[in-house]
Amino acid sequence: MKNNIKNLVVFVLICTVMTLLLATTNFFTAPIIKENQNASANKALLEVMPDGEGFEQIDISTFTLPATVSEVYKATNGQGYVIKLVTTGYGSDMVIMCGVKVDGTVTGAVCLSSNETLSKEKTYGENFALKDAAGVEAVDTIAGATKTTAAYKNAVKDALSSVIILGGGSVDLRSEEEILNDNLSTALPDGEKKFQKVFMVELLEGIDAVYEAENKSGYVFVSGQQFIGVKADGSVVTAGVEDTKLYSDAVEKIKSTTLKDVNFSKYEELKNTIVSVKKTASGNFVIEAKGAGYGIKGGDEYHPASNEYIIVRVAVTKDFKIIDCITVSEAETDGVGDACADESFYGQFVGKTDKNYTEIDAIGGATMTTDGYKQAIERAFNAVKILGGAR
Amino acid sequence: MKQKSSLSVMLNGIIKENPVLVLILGTCPTLATTNTVNGAFGMGIAALAVLVCSNVFISLLRKVIPESMRIPCYIVIIAGFVTIVKMLVQAFMPSLYESLGVYLDLITVNCIILGRAEMFANKNTVVASALDGLGMGIGFTLALTLMSTIREVFGAASFAGNPIPFMENYKIEFLTKAPGGLLVYGLLIALIYVITRGKAPVKTSFSCEGCPHAASCTTVNCQREGAEN
Amino acid sequence: MDAFKTLIVILLSSVFVDNYVLSRFLGICPFLGVSEKRNQAVGMGVAVTIVMLIATAVTWPIQYFVLDALNLGFLQNIVFILIIAALVQMLEMLLKKFIPALHKGLGVYLPLITTNCAVLGVTINNILDGYTFVQSMVSSLGCGLGFLLAMVLFSGLRSRINNANVPAPFKGLGVTLIAASFISLAFMGFSGIVEKIFA
Repeated sequence: MKNNIKNLVVFVLICTVMTLLLATTNFFTAPIIKENQNASANKALLEVMPDGEGFEQIDISTFTLPATVSEVYKATNGQGYVIKLVTTGYGSDMVIMCGVKVDGTVTGAVCLSSNETLSKEKTYGENFALKDAAGVEAVDTIAGATKTTAAYKNAVKDALSSVIILGGGSVDLRSEEEILNDNLSTALPDGEKKFQKVFMVELLEGIDAVYEAENKSGYVFVSGQQFIGVKADGSVVTAGVEDTKLYSDAVEKIKSTTLKDVNFSKYEELKNTIVSVKKTASGNFVIEAKGAGYGIKGGDEYHPASNEYIIVRVAVTKDFKIIDCITVSEAETDGVGDACADESFYGQFVGKTDKNYTEIDAIGGATMTTDGYKQAIERAFNAVKILGGAR
Repeated sequence: MKQKSSLSVMLNGIIKENPVLVLILGTCPTLATTNTVNGAFGMGIAALAVLVCSNVFISLLRKVIPESMRIPCYIVIIAGFVTIVKMLVQAFMPSLYESLGVYLDLITVNCIILGRAEMFANKNTVVASALDGLGMGIGFTLALTLMSTIREVFGAASFAGNPIPFMENYKIEFLTKAPGGLLVYGLLIALIYVITRGKAPVKTSFSCEGCPHAASCTTVNCQREGAEN
Repeated sequence: MDAFKTLIVILLSSVFVDNYVLSRFLGICPFLGVSEKRNQAVGMGVAVTIVMLIATAVTWPIQYFVLDALNLGFLQNIVFILIIAALVQMLEMLLKKFIPALHKGLGVYLPLITTNCAVLGVTINNILDGYTFVQSMVSSLGCGLGFLLAMVLFSGLRSRINNANVPAPFKGLGVTLIAASFISLAFMGFSGIVEKIFA
C-alpha cells in the first residue's frame, strides 16, 4: 500500500514536470504559431488577389450578403475584396476564397478545405481567374462531379454579388428572387432557403410583407428595407430589433386567422363579377373578383382575345383599405399585359383605399389590362359595400 | 550488459541495429512519410530529437521511476517531448508541420522510442543513453531518407522538391502512393539480405520485441527470436 | 437526411477509401505482426474496433469540454495516450472479471493496443477533422472495421504465402510487405466510389 502511494506520487510528479515543460514551451511558441497562421491566412488572400498587398477584415454584419459568405477582407490598396465562402458541395463543406476586383472581375479562387471525394474542387477555381460576370457564368461544371463544381460556381457568383452589395462591380448576378431569398435566408437561417409569401388578411402595423418558411420553422417580416426573422414560436431571431412584441403578436395573429365563406348568391349584381368572398373573425374580407381586361374587351387579328377575365384576390378591411392583393389568373397579351401578374404591379395596390386606388399608373402599352384590373378592384370594393362595409 | 565504447553504442544504432531496416521498428512513419524527402528527413529529425530527450530524461530518472509504474511514466515523458517538438516545428517550420500532419503526434506511439526506453535507457548511464538515442535517431533518419529518395526520385522525378528534368518522362507515380511505400520497403529489406548475404538477423515475422510491453507482457505469445543481438 | 448521408460517406470512406492500414499506414505493426492466423486477425481487429469506439467516446468530450475550455490544447497528446492506456487496462480487467470467455479470446491482444498508432491516430484525427460527436463515433467505427477487414483479408493471403516457395531474399518480411502492397493497390480502386453512391 505504502509502496503504491509512493509510486503514484512519482507518477504525478513526472506528469507535473512534463506539464510545466509543455506550458513553458507553449508560452513561447503560441504567439509565433498564431502569427504563422495569420501569415498563411494572408498568403491565401494574396493567392487569390496577387495585387492586394495588405488585407483587413471588414465587419459584414451591416450588409445583407448571400448566405454563403462567411468573411470579407478588403485589400488595403483598394484593389477589391477577398471573400471567404462556405458552401456545401457533395455532402461536405467547402471553404472557398475568392478574390474580386472592384470592377467585378474575379482575380482568383481557391478551395481552402474540403472533403470532396473526387477532389475536383482543388483545381476548379483556376477556371474563374480574370473572368467577369458573364465569363463566370460560362464556366462549365465538371461531369461526374456536378454537385461539387456547381456549388463552387455558385459560391463564386455569390462572391461577385457580394462585391456589388459592398460597393463596387457593375451587375448583380442574382435575380430579384435570389436577392429576396438571400435576404430572407439571412433573416431566418432555419428556413433552409425556401420561403413563400403569405397573403395577408389582417392589417399588421409597420409591416409591408410576410414570408413563411416552407418548413414552417417561422416567418420573415419585411418592414421597409429591414428583414426580421421570427420563429414559429414567436421568438425574434434577427438581432437589434427593439419591438419584439410587435412581431411575436403578428405571428400569433397570422396563425390564429380563420376564414369563413360568405354566401353572396342572393345579390344579383355580385353574381357575375365576384368569384368568392371570405370573411375573417375581425371583419376583413378576402374577395376574388373578375375584371374585363384585354382578354375580354380587346382582340384584333394579331392578338385574338382569350375570352378570359383577370381574376384578382384582394384582402380589404371593412373600411375599404386594401391589406393585400395578388393576381390569381390572367390571360393578357404575353410580354405586355401579363405584367399585371408581377408583384411590381399588383403590389402597388397594397395600402390603397377605395378613394385612391385609381391613381396607380397604367402598365405601359396595356391600358385595357390596367382598366380591367382596376375594374376587378372596384368590384371587390363594391362587394364589401353590399356585404356590410362600415361606411 | 557489458560496457561498450561510446562510439560503438552510437554506430550500433546506425548500422548493425538500424531500427528501420534491421530491427523493423517504427514502420508506420517509415511508410507514411517517405513519399517526399523533405517530409521523411523532417520526421527523422523530429523523432531523433524526441528519442534523445526521452532517453536522457528516462535515464536520469531510472532510479526514481518505480518498476510497476514505468510504462505510464515513459508514455507521459515521451508524449510530453513529442508535444514540445510538435510545438517547435509548428512555430518555426510551419510547412513541415503541414506535411507531417497527424504523424508528428504519432511519434508518441513510435515503437522505437518506447522500445529504446525499455531496452536501453532504463539500465544505462545518461551519456550512453544519449548516444544510443542519437545513433538510433540517425539510423532512423538515414533509413527514411534513403527510402524517400527512392520513392521521390523514381515516383515524382524530383529530389527534396527540386525537379529532376531528365527523369520527367520516366516517373512511376505509383511509388509515391501508399502501395508504393510498401513495395519499396519490401524490396529494400530483400536488398539488405542480399548485401549482407543473409548474415544480418533476418526477422521472419514481426513479433513483440519491438512492442514496449514485451518485457511486462506474459500473456502474448512473445517469441523473441533474434530480438536481442 | 443530408446528415445521415454524411455519416454513410464517413463510414464507407474510412472503411474503404481512407483505410487506416492500407492507405494511411496506421496500425501497420499489428497488421503485419498478428495477421498470420485468421482467428488471431479477427480477435485483434475486433479488439481494436472496440477500443477505438470507447477511446473516441471518452476523448472527444474531454477535448471539447476540458482541454479546449481550459485552454490546455497542448496537453492533448499526453492526455489522449494516457486515457487510451488506462482504458485498455480497465477493459482488460473488466473482461477478465466479468466475461472470462471473451477475455480468453480478446484479452491477449489488448496490451498490444495501447501503442497501436491507429487508436491514437483516430482520436486525434477526429478532432483535427472537426467532426461532431456522432460523426467521430461513426468514423471510429469505420476505421475499426476497415482495420478488421484489412486484417482478415491479409490473413487469408498470408496462409498461402507461407506455403509458397519464395526466393531467399524475400523470405519472411519482404514478400509480406510486397503482398500488402498489392492489397493496398486493390484498395486504391475504391477511391471515387463513395461519392458515386449518392451521385
